[in-house]
Amino acid sequence: MDNLDAARLQMAFTLIFHIVFACIGMVMPFFMIVAHKKWLNTGDPIYLKLTKTWQKGVAIFFVTGAVSGTALSFELGLLWPGFMEHAGPIIGMPFSLEGAAFFVEAVALGFYLYGWKNLSPKFHWFTGVIVGIAGVSSGILVVAANGWMNAPSGFDYINGEFTNIDPIKALLNPAWFTQALHMTLAAFTATGFAVAGIHAFQILRGKHIELHKKAFKIAITFGAIAAILQPISGDISAKDVAVRQPVKLAAMEAHYETDKGVPLYIGGIVDAEKKEVNYKIEIPNALSFLAFGDFNAEVKGLNDFPEDEIPNVAIVHYAFQIMVSLGGLMMLAGIFFFFTNWKKKQWMDKRLFWKLFAFLAPAGFIALEAGWIVTEVGRQPWIIHKIMRTKDAVTPMPGIVYSFYMYVAVYTLLTITVTWLMIRQIKALNETKI
Amino acid sequence: MLTVVLFFLCFSLLLYVLLGGADFGAGIIELFSSKTNQDITKKTIYRVMGPVWEANHIWVIILIVILWIAFPQYYKIMVTSLHIPLTLMLLGITLRGVAFVFRHYDAYEDKSQYVYNWMFRTSSLFTPILLGMVFGGMVSSKIVLLEDATNPNFYALYIAPWFNLFSFLVGIFFASLCAFLSAVLLIGEADEEGYAVYVRKASIATIVVVVIGFITISYGYFSNVPFVQGIVSNTTSIVLILLSGICLLPLWFSVRKGSSIISRSLAGLQVLLIIAVAIIPHFPNILMLEGGSLSILEGKAPDAVIKVLGISLIIGGSVIIPGLIHLLKSFKLIKILERK
Repeated sequence: MDNLDAARLQMAFTLIFHIVFACIGMVMPFFMIVAHKKWLNTGDPIYLKLTKTWQKGVAIFFVTGAVSGTALSFELGLLWPGFMEHAGPIIGMPFSLEGAAFFVEAVALGFYLYGWKNLSPKFHWFTGVIVGIAGVSSGILVVAANGWMNAPSGFDYINGEFTNIDPIKALLNPAWFTQALHMTLAAFTATGFAVAGIHAFQILRGKHIELHKKAFKIAITFGAIAAILQPISGDISAKDVAVRQPVKLAAMEAHYETDKGVPLYIGGIVDAEKKEVNYKIEIPNALSFLAFGDFNAEVKGLNDFPEDEIPNVAIVHYAFQIMVSLGGLMMLAGIFFFFTNWKKKQWMDKRLFWKLFAFLAPAGFIALEAGWIVTEVGRQPWIIHKIMRTKDAVTPMPGIVYSFYMYVAVYTLLTITVTWLMIRQIKALNETKI
Repeated sequence: MLTVVLFFLCFSLLLYVLLGGADFGAGIIELFSSKTNQDITKKTIYRVMGPVWEANHIWVIILIVILWIAFPQYYKIMVTSLHIPLTLMLLGITLRGVAFVFRHYDAYEDKSQYVYNWMFRTSSLFTPILLGMVFGGMVSSKIVLLEDATNPNFYALYIAPWFNLFSFLVGIFFASLCAFLSAVLLIGEADEEGYAVYVRKASIATIVVVVIGFITISYGYFSNVPFVQGIVSNTTSIVLILLSGICLLPLWFSVRKGSSIISRSLAGLQVLLIIAVAIIPHFPNILMLEGGSLSILEGKAPDAVIKVLGISLIIGGSVIIPGLIHLLKSFKLIKILERK
């Protein structure tokens, strides 16, 4: 494995982990404060129990998110010094604001976790709200830095030099809004479905059914609303990518020939050698419409881009298919949940209902990771779109592969441990009397 | 605005050494305690550090973000030449952080606690040693830039800068400083059973810090480390070292008497003096290369960036710092504030 591949794998690997921890740490506080509010309003001890259980989850995930985030803030420089040397000053703004938001979150979480006895009930609850808001803000801010890599702005690039740097313009780069919206909804969908799925599984096991049903409803409501809104955000993103990064769109669709009235491919096996897609389902004119809002619009194909500016088509295409299909599935499940809750409450007595949601527990996170693979692999070979290639940014230090192995070992161990801890939390919850 | 940025850089360094350091130190004290004292310490640090634990460690992120935004060239050299100790340090930060949370939030108290405790204590020792070695690497005049290297081999470029006795001594010094800070902090926080323990630990730690500090400086001086020679030949730093020496006496008595306000202030003062001694003689040339040095201001970010960063730091600081103080007060973390 050469150094560049090792560095890319390490970055991908650490990000894949960090994203899961960070999303849960950023969304679960919302579930927690809803349960907390319900306890304050009704005095129902089940809600208190639920709040305290979720609080432990928030604490564990917040810290794993925080330490993996600390590692990432160093890794950016350790692996990509060439990138950070030039990009650091330009995209410093979102990072410093993210740092501030994260600080606020940590302080608020300190109040919340340790404030059950010392603080007034209202203020205590409110610190939980701050945790949630600060968490989502830091997520949105850090996406701005990624948006900038896709849509570099706020500087002039003359003869290989970055001049006239405007950090605020860089922060407000054109990709930020679409990416941040898509990511925030994805975080709520993924965490909502995952948490709801775990509680659905506990209902199937027949433990503390009342508590798990209440937990399920809170989590799935967030997840379902986000899943139903997500296709709108996806459409905005697709139209944006079509204009700014046409090669990424072409890779997502494995679309080789430039043409008008282009069909949308569903599924299919990419043959990168022959530059074709086999066994796909075609929907006539759909890609032209989705990308440009016109059934006969021209969509540029991969063949019209320089060879050395094309990402790995197969990976991007498959990841995109996985993301869209799981997203669609969750949207339908979301609608199904609201319909059941509104008209057919008796369906909730059926095991099949809970099996469905237990089955969908990992769907959101798989879709979310697939989505990041689309945007990150789809950006290659650039680390800064059309400005700097990834291979020119990598550290000159050889042997990154060993550091990659170390991260694989540590993070795998960490994941196993966190999963095991969550199982123990649920087991302890099921053993206690409420 | 450059002054504001440099102020926040030093300010976050100071706070990270004080707060993060005391936090690391708590683990070191646990490591070097008897079984009973370990349990006392574990309980005390959970109460004292728990609510602010995360905040203590964010200072290092602020530090690194300021470095890469404002001083990108300096940052690049640091992360390239000191890649290995930084990666190992991150490993330590990760293991320590998760162990701290796992041992308090695991639903059951069983044998897995041994693993968490072991992980927490050993990484509490190794992480600050590595952190100190990174600083030692920055100042031990062994860094060779890739473009200047006459014989660019892996050892000379990526190992030699930090893998040397001087860096190691700096690492040990920093770890003992952490233990010292923590012991002094814990005196004021302990209940009766812990009080005597921490007075004893703080006394031992004070002696250890002074001895190791002396060894580090002498070794650096006699093996011609330019960084140390610069310190020794600079009037300001000599005055500061003397001041620090004079303050040791009241520090010692206040530690023995267990007076928490005075001993904490004096311990804080010691850290401030140590950082000043390290930075002042060479400033702004903080990075010592083989056969020269590099100014932190070399290749700094354009003024527009520095200005925006300075403003964000002022705004961010004015939101975060009062919140942090309120947090400390709310939980009577600074007990002495309540004791009038």
